[in-house]
Amino acid sequence: MTSLTHFFANIRWQDVLDIVLNSYVFFRFYILFRGTNVLRVLFGLACIWFAQRLAVSLGLIVSSWISQEITAAAALIVVVIFRNEIRGVLQTKNIRGILWELPKRSTTTPIEVIAESAFKLARKHIGALIVVPGREDLEEIVQHGLKWQGTVSSEMIVSIFWPDNPVHDGAAVVRGDRIWEVGCILPLSVRKDIPSNYGTRHRAALGLAETSDALVIVVSEESGAVALAKDSRITRIQDPETLEKHLKEHAGQRLGSRSDLMNEKIELGLAIFLSAAFTLGIWFSITRGFDTLASFEVPVEYRNRDPAQQIVNTSANTVKLQLSGSRSLLDAINPNQLRVRVDLGKAATGSNSYTITREDITLPPGVILKDVQPPMVDVDLDITAQKELPIQADFVGKLPDDRILAQVRLEPSTVTVIGASGFLDKLSTIYTEKIPVAGLEGSGTIEVGLVINPAKLNLAAGNRVTVYYTVLKKTSQK
Amino acid sequence: MVTPMKTPVFLRNAALLIAFLLPAMTAGQPSGSGQLAAPQSTGLVLGESTVCEEVRNGIPEQAAVAFSVDLKRVYCYTDFKKVPEKSFAYHNWYLRDNLKASIKLTVRPPRWSTYSSIQLRDSDKGPWRVEITDEEGIILKTLRFSVID
Repeated sequence: MTSLTHFFANIRWQDVLDIVLNSYVFFRFYILFRGTNVLRVLFGLACIWFAQRLAVSLGLIVSSWISQEITAAAALIVVVIFRNEIRGVLQTKNIRGILWELPKRSTTTPIEVIAESAFKLARKHIGALIVVPGREDLEEIVQHGLKWQGTVSSEMIVSIFWPDNPVHDGAAVVRGDRIWEVGCILPLSVRKDIPSNYGTRHRAALGLAETSDALVIVVSEESGAVALAKDSRITRIQDPETLEKHLKEHAGQRLGSRSDLMNEKIELGLAIFLSAAFTLGIWFSITRGFDTLASFEVPVEYRNRDPAQQIVNTSANTVKLQLSGSRSLLDAINPNQLRVRVDLGKAATGSNSYTITREDITLPPGVILKDVQPPMVDVDLDITAQKELPIQADFVGKLPDDRILAQVRLEPSTVTVIGASGFLDKLSTIYTEKIPVAGLEGSGTIEVGLVINPAKLNLAAGNRVTVYYTVLKKTSQK
Repeated sequence: MVTPMKTPVFLRNAALLIAFLLPAMTAGQPSGSGQLAAPQSTGLVLGESTVCEEVRNGIPEQAAVAFSVDLKRVYCYTDFKKVPEKSFAYHNWYLRDNLKASIKLTVRPPRWSTYSSIQLRDSDKGPWRVEITDEEGIILKTLRFSVID
């Protein structure tokens, strides 16, 4: 009971938003892809993922490895295999349809006209193939024929399939209230269990039904029978009413009965529930497994220092944070996400001690701070001061034995440095960069930089100095 | 009956003189008890000073600003043009900002030349300076040089 209270007390508004947002994404995913193979395959992949987690927890090495590899390739599998379905959804929906609109259960396709025309053709023993696409894109499945885009009417359909018409052998594709294309060539089914009385037209209808979610009406030229191919099955249709019913179901138009509406509501409710449950499951597995501890060495940022002060010394420049959370969250932590900031806004000149509190530490969501070492840092501050110091050349290397570096003059000879007054008090000279003496001959000048510790000192002016030198031959010694 | 004693005239004049001179005599002293008195110069006046390879017969030879560590020794020569009384001078030798040697030298009036030296080792390469001070620690001059290969 205590742990339950603790759990609810620790839920942040960001967690609630996170769960709601992702649940909605899953729900929309279901709405957009329901009835297609995408959802079934995704469900299969989700099962594999759960199996993988189970296999890992049980220590089944081979099973976990195989399932891990499959789930790793899942994104690629989904995109490659279902590119047509994904494209179909994205092309046919506008942004409103993708983000929030529930699909309307209505169609503009004149179903009665199509059904009536099919039987009219059957009575006249005129062969016909009429394709009514589903959600999936048929772009790469159907070989294009002739663009037609005529309004669907009984006369139009009969004239297309009239034996003297050049395009009567191909299939007509119906979209909405228009015959979109005619003379299309459909992929043939390679099944061997097709009844012998079915000809090429039936094989083509079945071929398309097998590879897509389209519905295909076939009118046999020989027998005058009307058949309907859908989901790898071909069914003989006896009357226009039955055909109409199938067409309406295919178009997503329910018959309008109260039970159908109820089923629709139950389906959507279940989808919402499962989306939320799925998201909650993921959220729990990622964020609520506080079984792992990890330590991170994080640099301390000292902020809001008075510009008139300098940090002279700190007892710690890094602190060790011990964090608790699920392994996946801790593994995913980028060191840049962890920050320890000590506010020096109220610091006084001299030594200041700060206890590092939770407010000083920035952590990624879902991670809990267990310990900070050291829990306190000491910061020594000093006032900023200026001091003029002499510059000295720092020569290195070797001169020939018969030469001496007789004179050196620096321009400028002094430099003004800015730093902590305590530090400046101990400083008496600023040195140049190392100046090699080898090769110096006669008189000349060299321009060199000054060596300063930029963390502790700043120069009031530039850090270059000109060195005027004179190298002479040694006087002979008696 | 007590009669007041008459103060002699010379004593009155002496008291007046002291009262007049005392503020003038103490004007140069620090007024606060917490303040340190500034060191007073001993009156030494430095003439020539140089760092050199050798001092022979009281004369510096091969004065320079860079010396090879192979020389094994380097000298600091100072000539005090004016020495009011017998006192001391110091040659403080620094490698970078680290005091390596502080050599006390006796100086005598009216003029005095003297020198100090240090032995050079391989670890002594780098920028050096010699601060020449009087016995009160007042820096009279700073000489700078480098010890090289």
